[in-house]
Amino acid sequence: MSERSEADRLQSENWFQKMVRRPEIGAFLVMIVIIIALAIASEGKAFNALGLKNNVAIIAQLGIIATGAALLMIAGEFDLSIGPMIAFAGMCMAIMMKWGLWTPVGVVEVTPFLAFTVTLVMTLAFGWLIGTIVVRSGLSSFIVTLAFWFFLRGLTEVCFRLINQNTNVSGLPDFKQESWFAEQMGGEVFGWFYDAWYWVGTKVTAGLEFTGDMTREAKIDLIAYLGFFNINRKMEQWVTGFDARLLWFIIIAGAAWFVLSKTQLGSWIYATGDNKDAARANGVPVNRVKVGLFMFSAFCATIFAACQVFDTNSSDAAKGMFKELEAIAIAVVGGILMTGGFGSILGVVFGAITFGLVANAVFFIPWIDGAWFRVFVGTVLLAAVFANERIRKRITGGI
Amino acid sequence: MAEPLIRIEKLVKKFGPFTALNGVDLEVYPGEVHALLGDNGAGKSTLIKVLSGVHDPSGGQIYVEGKAVKFRSPRDAAQAGIGTVYQDLALNQLMSVTRNFFMGRELKGPFGVLKMDQMNQIAHDEMKKIGIDFSDPTQAVGTMSGGQRQTLAIARAIYFGAKVLILDEPTSALGQKQQMGVLKTMMKVRQRGDIAIIFITHNEIHSKLVADRFTFLSLGEVIGKGTKEDLAGDDIRRLMAGGAELGDLAAELASVSG
Repeated sequence: MSERSEADRLQSENWFQKMVRRPEIGAFLVMIVIIIALAIASEGKAFNALGLKNNVAIIAQLGIIATGAALLMIAGEFDLSIGPMIAFAGMCMAIMMKWGLWTPVGVVEVTPFLAFTVTLVMTLAFGWLIGTIVVRSGLSSFIVTLAFWFFLRGLTEVCFRLINQNTNVSGLPDFKQESWFAEQMGGEVFGWFYDAWYWVGTKVTAGLEFTGDMTREAKIDLIAYLGFFNINRKMEQWVTGFDARLLWFIIIAGAAWFVLSKTQLGSWIYATGDNKDAARANGVPVNRVKVGLFMFSAFCATIFAACQVFDTNSSDAAKGMFKELEAIAIAVVGGILMTGGFGSILGVVFGAITFGLVANAVFFIPWIDGAWFRVFVGTVLLAAVFANERIRKRITGGI
Repeated sequence: MAEPLIRIEKLVKKFGPFTALNGVDLEVYPGEVHALLGDNGAGKSTLIKVLSGVHDPSGGQIYVEGKAVKFRSPRDAAQAGIGTVYQDLALNQLMSVTRNFFMGRELKGPFGVLKMDQMNQIAHDEMKKIGIDFSDPTQAVGTMSGGQRQTLAIARAIYFGAKVLILDEPTSALGQKQQMGVLKTMMKVRQRGDIAIIFITHNEIHSKLVADRFTFLSLGEVIGKGTKEDLAGDDIRRLMAGGAELGDLAAELASVSG
């Protein structure tokens, strides 16, 4: 008779069982369903040259803040102040670039880079303050960041009215023309992708042209067809590149993935969110990890705001509305546990793609009511929470 | 007799007006299991918290390998070679065996990148040394049994340089078979000969099975001590109950049910 040890009782799994147990599997399946459904309902328009660019813009925007929210949630805390932080950062940059910066030697003109740097110092300071209050007081981050939600929303509007006599700044000059930095925030990236797309398109559609004897319907069909090959109605290149925020999303999510899965800091983030007393007893600097992640969340909100400001050359006190809730929802749908200690960035990326596509769907499917987006978010969020809870129970043996 | 690894002299700990420890002496030798017994409130927990640097003593002195020491934090105590395995084990359920093993002391290369393969190997080898062969160190601790978790926590403390292992009721809250597993692990550690184990327990049978030396605490004082040979079975039982005669107890119980 063979000797059985306790270790044998854990069944070894094949690759399929392992994959099903991964935290991002649910988010992945939902994403695939949404991509297919949207492609069919929009008759492919959601993924033609311009559709892809617009979808990616929203996905990247949501992904940037969701990454910050996700890391913080893995460490066991929430940040409800993301939205107001976006509005605050946008206000700071726009006001500084319009009115200059007060210094002891008088008002100096501000370049986009200086405006961003000064703003980042302020938002990081707020992130530090929020984190410090949370770890020092031991209060729930829900209530502390809710306080900062009101504080920052109010502060943003007050500053706008005091300095600009209005709740927005609009009509700023297009800084992208002369500032390299502004171009990196609000300009375009991966132009080669669309150039290649156009090049392929010219080969495929060679010989097609608009002629005088075409019916209106035939022209519309041809325009739609050319759209898939990045060609506009004048037979020129239609779209020249993705929004710069795509690159920021890739950088931020890539860095977060690397830190979380490959580094000591990643281990500390998981340990902090799982059982912070155990982590502390083993020498993990729990408080520093948490404060650092509140600052990272503020950093993500600032990047979000900078991309918005330099893209549209304007800012508004109402920017970033509901963004904190969307960021948390994406993180949860991406498989991050509400209780912390578990989750992956890959899931958050899938979640961001799903949410971005659904948020934008109204532009591609004319007959759909935009408010369905929230109905969808609510439904998927609830389903995700149940799914995540199942995963947690499976890992901890049902405790 | 060999030099004790830890010697405690007249240790006093007061919390305001309350005296938790009132002049406790204790000697712990390498290669021995030292059972620390006593009823609830006897001061066992306070004693190990002082030893592991959580509490500052109000009086008395601790010597490690003959040198007087003063611990300002748990980190100081850990550096002096005192490894405490608490009842809750300080483990993270959702994280892998390896990540738990190295928690807070990860092996890292440039940019804080974890040396995961090396860490997996070490975690596997160290746990095998004291009794469990883990095929998959990447599995979550949440999937392990209570006894396996205990082993993980002990292996971790030893690997990170514990010369004195303080086990706080390691067999409570475990099933029979797993209790035996933990006792076996303790004997394996004892066999090494260079590590002292302080074994805090309520369980008379367990202490008799593994301990070489006993100290009994009651109301913050030592009411009895000795080696296995010194103490007859009845003595142990009497001292564990805080010195009260079991005969008296039987009489009292009889009067209640009267």
